[in-house]
Amino acid sequence: MSDLLDIEAVREQFLNQVFDEQTFELDTAQIVDYARACGEQAPRYVDPGHPDFQAPPTFPSSFRPTRRLPEGFPKLPGLGMDAGKAVAPMAPVRPGVKLTARTHLHEVYAKTGRSGRMTFMVTRMEIFDPDGVQLAAADTRIVIREKPSS
Amino acid sequence: MSIASIADVEFGAQLPEFEPDTSLENVRSFVVAAGWDGPRFTDHEAARKEGLPGALVPGILSQGYLAAMIHRWAPDAFIENVDTIFRAPVLVDEPYRISGVVTDVDEDDGRVEIDLTLTNEQGETRVFGTAMVKLPIE
Repeated sequence: MSDLLDIEAVREQFLNQVFDEQTFELDTAQIVDYARACGEQAPRYVDPGHPDFQAPPTFPSSFRPTRRLPEGFPKLPGLGMDAGKAVAPMAPVRPGVKLTARTHLHEVYAKTGRSGRMTFMVTRMEIFDPDGVQLAAADTRIVIREKPSS
Repeated sequence: MSIASIADVEFGAQLPEFEPDTSLENVRSFVVAAGWDGPRFTDHEAARKEGLPGALVPGILSQGYLAAMIHRWAPDAFIENVDTIFRAPVLVDEPYRISGVVTDVDEDDGRVEIDLTLTNEQGETRVFGTAMVKLPIE
């Protein structure tokens, strides 16, 4: 008997299906505070008067879906930890623009070692402007350390 | 030296080291802007009650430090992707350094790959990142 997540079954049932949709809208002060805290100095991120003023490229990483994994996803055999984030900016995120963010399970994979198995779940949030133009993709990697039951 | 175009970049070049601001005040400002406000990031005692060694710098702020370091080096750089691995906690009010090295240069399309490492005073890696950056060709 094993408590390990059935990766193939999970992939087949949940991969690439949008499980969360939300809207966001950034304001100017929020963008400047975010950029300055990161240490940005480039005027396009910290000066609202700059003609190309926009959010720093990592801002989409801060958007969070209402749930981490799809509804009906098997109970994780342990605490899922945030193992990393990747962001791919495609076009500027500007203040006052309504953004739509859709999240899906992008990948599930495992790494096995002598002390057990580590399973990684990658959720991808895709961010669009009101015209449907994709502005960014932001990935979150959740890792869980699994031990087979003896 | 500030990088203006791909012609200024050499394979193996080191980016100027960056010491990020991990002060409680700065982290507070960040989490409010990001919508991540919570005691584990802004209150050492509350974080310790959760079993943490102290208030944490959110992973997304560490990622933001890496991007800022790239822009300090090359102000007109367009970051196409930054992938960040959180290896161990980064603590508020603790000193850290970020180093970066150019690991690939494509002069034809202006792309540069950079490895970025955030380390503590003991030299232990806490966050590792890889970025793909596009620079003006000329």
